[in-house]
Amino acid sequence: MNDFITVYSGDLMRRIKSRPFLVGLILGTLAIVGLFKLPTILAPTIVSQGTRLVIVADAPLAAQARPLLARTLTVKGVVPAGTAVNRALLQRFDADCAISISEVKSGIHVTIFAKNPTSVPSGRVRAALLPLQVQHATHLSSAQIAAALGANIEVRSLSSKFQSVDQAQAAQGLAMTLVVFLYILVIVNSQFVMSAVAEEKTSRIAELLIASVDPMVLLAAKVLVGATLSVLQLLVWVAIGIALGSGGGTAGAGAGAAASASMNPFSLTGLLGNTLSPEVIAAFGVFFILGFLQISTVFAGVASLINRTEDLGSISGPMVIPTIAGYFIGFLAINAPTLPLVTVTSFIPLLSPFVMFARMAVSHVPLWQIGTSVALNVLALWGFTWFAGKLYRVGMMLYGRPPKFAQVWEILRSPS
Amino acid sequence: MLSVEHIQKSFGSVQALRDVSFSVGAGSVFGLLGPNGSGKTTTMRTILNILRPDAGAVSWNGKPIDRTVRRRFGYLPEERGLYGKMAVREQIVYFGRLHGLHEPEAAKRADAWIERLEIGAYALRPAAELSKGNQQKVQIACAALHDPELLILDEPFSGLDPVNADILLAILLDLKAKGTTLVLSSHQMWQLEQLCTAFCVINAGETRASGTLAELRSAWPTRTVRVAPDSPVLRGAAEKLGATIAGSENGDLDLNVPATSDFAAMLRSFAAADSIVKFEVVEPSLHDIYLRAIGAAA
Repeated sequence: MNDFITVYSGDLMRRIKSRPFLVGLILGTLAIVGLFKLPTILAPTIVSQGTRLVIVADAPLAAQARPLLARTLTVKGVVPAGTAVNRALLQRFDADCAISISEVKSGIHVTIFAKNPTSVPSGRVRAALLPLQVQHATHLSSAQIAAALGANIEVRSLSSKFQSVDQAQAAQGLAMTLVVFLYILVIVNSQFVMSAVAEEKTSRIAELLIASVDPMVLLAAKVLVGATLSVLQLLVWVAIGIALGSGGGTAGAGAGAAASASMNPFSLTGLLGNTLSPEVIAAFGVFFILGFLQISTVFAGVASLINRTEDLGSISGPMVIPTIAGYFIGFLAINAPTLPLVTVTSFIPLLSPFVMFARMAVSHVPLWQIGTSVALNVLALWGFTWFAGKLYRVGMMLYGRPPKFAQVWEILRSPS
Repeated sequence: MLSVEHIQKSFGSVQALRDVSFSVGAGSVFGLLGPNGSGKTTTMRTILNILRPDAGAVSWNGKPIDRTVRRRFGYLPEERGLYGKMAVREQIVYFGRLHGLHEPEAAKRADAWIERLEIGAYALRPAAELSKGNQQKVQIACAALHDPELLILDEPFSGLDPVNADILLAILLDLKAKGTTLVLSSHQMWQLEQLCTAFCVINAGETRASGTLAELRSAWPTRTVRVAPDSPVLRGAAEKLGATIAGSENGDLDLNVPATSDFAAMLRSFAAADSIVKFEVVEPSLHDIYLRAIGAAA
């Protein structure tokens, strides 16, 4: 145990002070800040893009159209029909487009003149002016039109997990965010463990270490240092996220700002809402630990076979494939948690940390399935540790040409 | 006492050790000799339990080498390696801790070693900034900081300039005086002859000769007798005694005779045959013994 503590603490301090870890932490932090702050900064610009308009119509028609358009767009002004529409007109009203409305036999005719046609919200204009079109086509009163078009659509959830569509959508968004986090943490820190092992081997310090400490202790310490650093990173990012999330509410002067943040489709604060349940947090923790330990243990074992750090890329490439597959199936699981592919892969080690977590975040998964998945992952971890331990014990002392598959097989079969 | 008994080790189809046996007395300095690829490093790694033998056994004071025993050993591998970015002092302390020293004690000893190895100027600098020789000094400190009972050094003199080689030699003699058992390999025969009390010659994974220099010499079947002057009369007398002429140089005549020869009687015969000015029985050198043991011409 003393050996483990010495190696673990020494390695941890070395890694915490290392440039790759600090750079990763800073970049991750900047990404978190960006994720929280950029939407607030960019949203007004994005939302208002192409939506400031000038109405070109006769006064009665303009009077009818203005309130309808103003519900979803910004009306900057009204000019009489026949006014020349050009860039100067748009510039005068600080508008993105001009909407010319005229009466025709079948209702109304609308022409949109825009600086940038790709940013024209034609769908929103069509929806906004629909009552006016119907009114002019049928000559019914505006009250009758409103009554006829005002069909109430209500969505009632039959899911026992979510009571509303908003809640289900928020959970999906949260699950996506967490699956991305899971992937980044696992992949980045497993590569970290891999390069640490390769560095010790290629710098020839491994022999000195193995002469002093049991190779399995070294391997375990290395993998757990990786896990600790991942958790540390995560805690820093979560703390920053919480600080930014709560700060956003107060900085925005009270409940109104908080409410508007939750309404903002780009706001992560709004996305998280109340969907981050203890169950989801626990699932994230358990599947992160299981996924990380499995992948980084295999990475460490395989890294012990290489003789040059330049070979890390070529050897890690194929090993990353299951992780990427798990990541994509995890995303699939968020949208279709009951697909047979999703259900099956949520039991397969290396894939299941992503897939089972995603299933749990968006649906009710039977307890026996969760238990089986965790048990299979623990069993796989035991197998991967045996496999990596075998490779590591011999691989760290193996120099010269990279071993062929037959040699690796010999190593796995040998007593040491 | 270190006891290595008939150890064997294979890596796939390559049999690195076929049958290696020797014993090293406590407090002695033992030289492991052999050509490149003969199995010296594998033997050392097996002693340290880095590699487990396929057959045979290694013991220290009668006990197998487990983690507790191994912690009392020190090792300087042939391939040097340090954490390049870690400061020298921090590195020495770390390895001291890996051998069971508490941090304050490890730090105290590290300072003493840094002073002794004359690397104080580099103590707080990253190891990568040091010259090869100075890095080797750091590694020696890492290997010996915990006052090991057994210190194994694989080619400790390689890469050292004469001044640093002398510093290392002094350190090893000091460790020997303190009672540390030393096992070392080197291709520098004169250094081994100066340091070691016993030897083992390994070739092709097998022990070819083992023992003290006196024992190895006593097992040598012939001796060289050097006589002068190199005269036809003396050559005739030598042939009569059954000696074979090994060579002639600077007026001396070298004769090969069985090790069991009666040298006093031989001296009397030569003196009676000619006016000899030199009669010397030359013992075989470690170099001769080594070459003969590995099957090369001595």
